[in-house]
Amino acid sequence: MSAHAGTIDHHHDHTTTTGIPNKKLFMWAFLASDCMFFGALISTHVIYRLHPTPDGADPLKIFSLELTSFSTFILLMSSLLMALAVGACQKGKVEATRKMILGTIFFGLIFLGCQVYEFTHFVHLGLTLNSDMFGATFYTLTGTHGVHVAIGVLWLVFMYIRTFKPADVSKAWVGRACLQFAAFAVATVTIMIIMLAVTHVGNEQGYTLAAIGAGLQHSLISCIAFVASCATLIALGRSSWAVDFGEANAVDVEGMGLYWHFVDIVWIVIFTVVYLLEYL
Amino acid sequence: MATATTAAYSPADAKSRASHRPWFFTRPVAKTGLVSWLTTVDHKKIGLLYGITALFFFLVGGIEALLIRVQLAVPNNTFISHQFYNELFTMHATTMIFLAVMPLSAAFFNYMMPLQIGARDVAFPRLNGFAFWVFIAGAIVLNVGWFTAAGAPDVGWFGYAPLTSNAYSQQFAGDVSTDLWIMGLQILGVSSVIGSLNFIVTIINMRAPGLTMMRLPVFTWMTLFTAFLIILSFPAITIALVELMMDRSFGTGFFEVAKGGMPILWQHLFWIFGHPEVYILILPAMGIVSEILPTFSRKPLFGYPIVVFSGAVIGFLGFGVWSHHMFTTGMGTMATAAFSLATMAIAVPTGVKIFNWVGTLWGGHIMTRTPMMFALGFIWMFMMGGFSGVMHSAAPADAQQQDSYFVVAHFHYVLIGGSIFALLAGIHFWFPLIFGRIVSEFWGKLSFWVIFVGFNVTFFPMHFLGLNGMPRRTAVYDGNMGWNSANLVATIGAFILAIGIGIYFAVMIYTYFKGKKAAGDVWDARTLEWSVPTTPPPEHNFHVTPTVHARDAFWYEKTHAKEIAAEKAKTAAETESHGGIHMPSQSWFPLVTAVGMLIGGLFFAHHYFPGAIAGGVILLIGVLGWAFEGPGGYHLHIHKDGSVTGGEGQDESAH
Amino acid sequence: MRFSLVPTLRRATTLLAVALIPLFTAGWLSGPQSTFDVKGPVAKSQLDVFYVTVWVTMAIFVVVAAVLAYATIKFKARKTDDEHAPVPPQGHGNPLVELGLIAASIAALVIIAVPTLKAIWYTYDVPEEQRANAYEVTARGLQWWFQFEYPSEQIDGSGQLITGNELVIPAGRPVRINLRTSDVIHSFWVPKLGGKVDMIPNRGNHMWLQADEPGYFWGQCAEYCGESHAVMRFRVIALAEDDFAAWVENQKKSARTVQPSASPKAEFASYDMTRKPRNAPGYTADFDADPMAAWVNFQFPDKDENADLVAKGRALFKEKNCITCHSVRGHEGVGVNAPDLTHFGSRTTVAAGLLENSKENLHRWLMYPNDVKPGNKMWVGVNGMAGYIDIDPATKRPTGTRHIELNDTESRALVEYLHSLK
Repeated sequence: MSAHAGTIDHHHDHTTTTGIPNKKLFMWAFLASDCMFFGALISTHVIYRLHPTPDGADPLKIFSLELTSFSTFILLMSSLLMALAVGACQKGKVEATRKMILGTIFFGLIFLGCQVYEFTHFVHLGLTLNSDMFGATFYTLTGTHGVHVAIGVLWLVFMYIRTFKPADVSKAWVGRACLQFAAFAVATVTIMIIMLAVTHVGNEQGYTLAAIGAGLQHSLISCIAFVASCATLIALGRSSWAVDFGEANAVDVEGMGLYWHFVDIVWIVIFTVVYLLEYL
Repeated sequence: MATATTAAYSPADAKSRASHRPWFFTRPVAKTGLVSWLTTVDHKKIGLLYGITALFFFLVGGIEALLIRVQLAVPNNTFISHQFYNELFTMHATTMIFLAVMPLSAAFFNYMMPLQIGARDVAFPRLNGFAFWVFIAGAIVLNVGWFTAAGAPDVGWFGYAPLTSNAYSQQFAGDVSTDLWIMGLQILGVSSVIGSLNFIVTIINMRAPGLTMMRLPVFTWMTLFTAFLIILSFPAITIALVELMMDRSFGTGFFEVAKGGMPILWQHLFWIFGHPEVYILILPAMGIVSEILPTFSRKPLFGYPIVVFSGAVIGFLGFGVWSHHMFTTGMGTMATAAFSLATMAIAVPTGVKIFNWVGTLWGGHIMTRTPMMFALGFIWMFMMGGFSGVMHSAAPADAQQQDSYFVVAHFHYVLIGGSIFALLAGIHFWFPLIFGRIVSEFWGKLSFWVIFVGFNVTFFPMHFLGLNGMPRRTAVYDGNMGWNSANLVATIGAFILAIGIGIYFAVMIYTYFKGKKAAGDVWDARTLEWSVPTTPPPEHNFHVTPTVHARDAFWYEKTHAKEIAAEKAKTAAETESHGGIHMPSQSWFPLVTAVGMLIGGLFFAHHYFPGAIAGGVILLIGVLGWAFEGPGGYHLHIHKDGSVTGGEGQDESAH
Repeated sequence: MRFSLVPTLRRATTLLAVALIPLFTAGWLSGPQSTFDVKGPVAKSQLDVFYVTVWVTMAIFVVVAAVLAYATIKFKARKTDDEHAPVPPQGHGNPLVELGLIAASIAALVIIAVPTLKAIWYTYDVPEEQRANAYEVTARGLQWWFQFEYPSEQIDGSGQLITGNELVIPAGRPVRINLRTSDVIHSFWVPKLGGKVDMIPNRGNHMWLQADEPGYFWGQCAEYCGESHAVMRFRVIALAEDDFAAWVENQKKSARTVQPSASPKAEFASYDMTRKPRNAPGYTADFDADPMAAWVNFQFPDKDENADLVAKGRALFKEKNCITCHSVRGHEGVGVNAPDLTHFGSRTTVAAGLLENSKENLHRWLMYPNDVKPGNKMWVGVNGMAGYIDIDPATKRPTGTRHIELNDTESRALVEYLHSLK
């Protein structure tokens, strides 16, 4: 299927009036809409920070700037990998595209993991959705952003699986795709469980080797499942056949990339407004 | 078969693919019957679906209005209870705005806009079908309350917090009705935003060769502005509704005073959406009128660039005047003054449009056919609504008018005299194109005059009611307030209006089955939608994609017949050498995805989360099937004699 | 077909329009809540701005409508040459005309903008020079009634003076009203004195009014506030300075106690006790003819007052648990969830400005409150206090059992008691 006549110009689509591919234009327009979406959410947060409830929580006592800075950095790096994935796909390098997509998924998951940890930690400290207004706006805003990242990760996973679609339509790949997806799902859920178990023990006993070992022991089944699913992913991570994925799909990867970068930029704004401004 | 095109698709693939597709991905091929409608991606069919649904809800909203008017016909009336009255006015407004006027506009966007820009379909045909099915899901969620013990939503169409909170909404019955209202609006928002993204891409990217932006028909321009207004304003209400839903379902306090919430925030978020929404309702109407007036004056629109530009200015300023809905909320002098002046400013581009419409008539050859009657009626009524709007913009005067019947009169002049008149004009205008039959002039004009008289008799007295101190949303009033005769007149008017609408619909239905056949360009029109080879238009719209040389492209074609014929022959040959006319394939997945959304929404509103998750799973299956079945497509071939061959799954080797 | 329907309809429209004009003059703008019959400077200022907008838009309307009508008639195609006439010149417009019209529109708007801005500042708060003279009250909206609080009238041991549903103010003096609400959004509107301002939770709004002369004014909640929004009304009574002082003096007193007489009265004037339709009117022409005189009458004890019945009513007021929500200063009532009834008998209306405070209407309100004001708190309970009927907290539906039962005799005694609270 990659037998396209001539090279593909990724910056100009001759079938559209403006030369911009439809999908790309659609994504830009959607992001404009999403800007207003986050604009309204961030405004709500800021308005209620300016009119706090009297007995509300003090963010400074709750936030861990180190952790959030780390996850922010990770998310930024994931944007770099995403850009590399787009570049690789535009050059028709399927293998490189896969690696970069996997990297983006991995970094995206680290970010989500940090957020899950952060949320459980904050709940532990007494900040919940209905404890006070700060809790409500904080969880709604960062949670909505987290959902955006999660949708992005899901999209990346589907795109990753899509790269294995055989060019030969007679070759069945549905079962394989389902297995790959299941492996991703299991790996994601189990690593979150393991991480929470380890940090739970670590918080109580200090992060010694023994404590981490104990944490792993607590979540033994998850550990096994995680290793198994990772092995499955590695085993399925190569294709010996010609695939129906290449330069022609660059616009799809690029649209996904636009979304991913946008979600990152929104995070920069959220990180500044919700976290950094509290330290002023 | 050369694969010279960039499309990753060739007819040969279609054959091999079709034979190897699992049943799950089998593409429906029916062109008639139920399946063809359920799986359609044809913008014209989707437009018809929108139109028919919208007209149905227009009648539902109308019946709600009549019940309201019967209750108010005489003072101290006991025709319906306060609670039912509150449900009626909430649902009347919600229905007319979200389920009648917006989708009726969307019907014209869908049907006419691709034709006006010389396209074969919209940019994302399946997404277009999805937007419609999601709209149906939202309509069902909003209206399902009528059939449950909770009753219909009763918080008013702008649902001011904290009346919508758990503590105050529907205190004497399980209060799912407000949850249904939230969920219904949320789902309708998804539909509107998706539809609009599609229109934006289509207008920017799918124009026929030579159709520069400044040659676009004004209706297409207004579609574009409306679409931008929708994608930029709906997020505000989405967030407001999300926050309200969090309050009701998860115990947050965004709008709950006891938890430190500020109900005023709801008003800001709502009207940041709500005011652009007003222009979402009126800009398409202005577009339709800007098509009809030139056609029936037989001359181009006066000051085309200024009409387009003023539409843009209205859309832009529309985001900066939301607080004029809140003049009585004690915003302080500076804010009130600023929003007062901004609101006055918006009268300028609106006035400019009226001047240009008058200018279009001037020196023309005016044929007062039924669509033209409605369009002229639009100018008169919209002008009156505009003037009462200017009266509202003066904040001190508005302090007396806000939330009174004066406001009710104002927005009905703008929304019925404006939007509905223009939409009814549009139906008349494009009826011959859509159905190939023409409406009787006598009955058309009769319906116009009855509607016109009924409308004015209903709503003109309401100005006086408002200035005489009658607040809106009152289920009952005393007989000693001086409101009796005006209310009675208004109720009589409402029934005259209802008779007019009845005649209108009866005539339309009669014409659809028995009307005089009309082929082609019956009005001597000016824009590309009338250049279709047959009426109703074929699925592929144009045998040959038109090339545009001027504004009013079809008028140019008619006045330069020879050159155009030669050019078309050339384009036709070119298209055929590229494999014929590419058409999108039908699909089940838009419907499946929307059904998932409906099920999830209904269960979520009833706080039954396993059901909501089940709906979500169906939705996910729909999305995945959608993604993995691929865009598909097939080719059509036009022959010299005008016959068409080819189609979904057909053997094309004969070609 | 030569039947000329269109001209016939046009003629009918003209006739109808002409027929409507007498209706306008016959009271369409002269009701008790007319915004044209202004009685104070705030309403006057708002009406003046309104007139400016009317004249400016009328002037524009006359010009544009004339041009539009002229163009429609002058350039209308004749029947015979509809499709066959030569095409008119295909003109695309004239930028100079456009610019001129835009400039003219802006000029027209400036005429409106200047008085608008002036009035925005004037109506926002009591003018500086009169501020010292201003009288302050607080109006509080509740579902579905109004409470009025007088911070400058303190009562020993009981805090500020509180009344319900009838706001008495001094005439000829600016009154600054703090607007508060205890539940949802309401809006305070006395059309003859001034435009509305909303009562919004978690937001301290205010407005000012002035009644130039003593008078009796109708007001109504103007923001949809739930089931009985339509019947959430109130009255404003402006009194001359001396009368106002006397009124305050009386209101500050504890509730009037009537001593049972030595020889009980045999019978008292009877009234209609039959149940009326739900929204049956509660007003009379006599009252409306001179509401101020009626108000004065309400300040004095009834001539046919039955002291024994009053005593019985007072006992019932406690027995039927009215005291848990209503306050009657000096008597048993101590509740704060419902209107203060200390001087209830001196008010002209019952059920939040809805019904005249006649014995007949009061009886109806006590016996069938849900007929008068569906969903009212006396019927369904409020803030954990039970009302007449029992509501299941889970389903929010009536369970069928009743907390409070009244019969005609009991209601008759309660009416007598409440009316004695002058």
